[in-house]
Amino acid sequence: MLKVKNLTKKFGELIAVNDLSFEVKKGQVYGIAGPNGAGKSTVYNLITGNYSYEGKIEFDGHDITGLPPYRIAKRGIARTFQVPEIFPSLNVQETIRVGSRFGARGGLDLKHSDEIMNFVGLEEDRLQHTGLLNLLGKKKLMIGAALATKPKILMLDEPMAGSNASEIADLMVLIRNINQQLGVTIIIIEHFMKVLTELTETLLIIESGSMICCDKPEIVTNDPRVIESYLGDSYAEDK
Amino acid sequence: MFLEIIDVFISGLINGSVYALMAVGLTLVYGVTKAFNFAYGSFYNLGGYFAWILLIPLGVIGGYFSVFFIAIPFFFIVGYLLEKVLISPLRKYDDWEMKVMMLTLGLSLFMDFGYQAIFGPRIKSLPGIIEGTAQIGEVVLFQQDIVIFIFSISGMLCFGWVLNNTRTGMAVQAVAQNPAGAQIVGIPKDFIFAATFAISTIMVGFGGILLCQKNFVDPMGSTDIMIKAWVITAFGGMGSIRGSLYAAFILGILEAFVGWYFGMIHVQIATLTLLLVTLAIRPRGLMGRE
Repeated sequence: MLKVKNLTKKFGELIAVNDLSFEVKKGQVYGIAGPNGAGKSTVYNLITGNYSYEGKIEFDGHDITGLPPYRIAKRGIARTFQVPEIFPSLNVQETIRVGSRFGARGGLDLKHSDEIMNFVGLEEDRLQHTGLLNLLGKKKLMIGAALATKPKILMLDEPMAGSNASEIADLMVLIRNINQQLGVTIIIIEHFMKVLTELTETLLIIESGSMICCDKPEIVTNDPRVIESYLGDSYAEDK
Repeated sequence: MFLEIIDVFISGLINGSVYALMAVGLTLVYGVTKAFNFAYGSFYNLGGYFAWILLIPLGVIGGYFSVFFIAIPFFFIVGYLLEKVLISPLRKYDDWEMKVMMLTLGLSLFMDFGYQAIFGPRIKSLPGIIEGTAQIGEVVLFQQDIVIFIFSISGMLCFGWVLNNTRTGMAVQAVAQNPAGAQIVGIPKDFIFAATFAISTIMVGFGGILLCQKNFVDPMGSTDIMIKAWVITAFGGMGSIRGSLYAAFILGILEAFVGWYFGMIHVQIATLTLLLVTLAIRPRGLMGRE
């Protein structure tokens, strides 16, 4: 469904992403992990058209290399950010409708927007201003606004960051439901290995913009290169 | 004495309403693009010359009604083309906001000297929109001032309506609040940037038409307007439309009282003092974000 071929991004002398290739299949939950500064979020920014790059990206059989972000969104790729802050002057319902109005093929779909609001569990907060939501609410809202664009792929950037155990459990259920009930392919960047091993079918580990390993989570987490460069010996011992 | 104070207050209110109309446009551009348009004052003058050309040499039928009617598409196209032709190509650079400021500063000088070359160095006067006075109790008002006030407030109400009730307006708000978030929900940022410039150019063009028919069209008058618009934008809080509205009226009234009591030569000093004191105490201005 999404084929990334020889993706390279340089910021001056710094090579943020280095000849990276991977493929995400339809219906998958695909994980990306790696140390801080490995280039994970940059990969997201490249796929969503925020930066120019070398290489090629195909989505749904079409070359989307070089398309601007809003056209990539229209094609069916949605994403969320690490910091969940969107449109502070709008309320929950309006924010989700913005996603539908501008991002969805066919324009504003009120019924779908309301369904999404219920799906992410924000129906009781629909008139609440986004700035007044708690962290979990803001995360759900950002996911809701992304889902309102009727995406085929949803790219989540560290959705568990700053969450407690019960919020993580809540978000994991939501992510699984988005994948299984809505049929949306998921790519997730995350530092919590437990989340990745439980949710994903394929896990890509990158360091300094390059791929270290890409396989099933149980294989990746036992790979000596991954343990050495990212997980550490203590993870292997705890395991 | 009391009547005089009322007169001064009303004069400040009227000037403040036009400043608000113009400063809100400048704030909008800054809020959305984070770049400052230093040619804004020159577009104010363009409004004055636009009205002068239509009314005096061309003698357009319908007078000011036709001027305002033609001004909307004219200034929209000018603003849109300005963004697409001159500003948009700069966006590929990392420090494009700084480059936009440099470019618009140069554009402002180009336009001001261009006005002198084309229209001559002398000021031009426009016919009043309306003549005569109106009396409310013991207070006598120029009908011209009443029309300016009504037009300015109407312009801001139209702007507010467009911002809150149209697809483009919602997109403008979304880009201003979160450019990255706006793009991921499918909002075309490039179009919104151009539309924002276009809307702000309409607002300053209208401000130019309204104030130049009360004052004059001065080819070098853009600096004064630019300083006022910049003071209002910074005083109100960079990017805050509501802050600009309050700041515009406060400055309009301050100007009127300082001019009346101390003389017009002290007006600019007073407004800049207010700005410096405000920024020293509250660097984000009246309503700017932290």
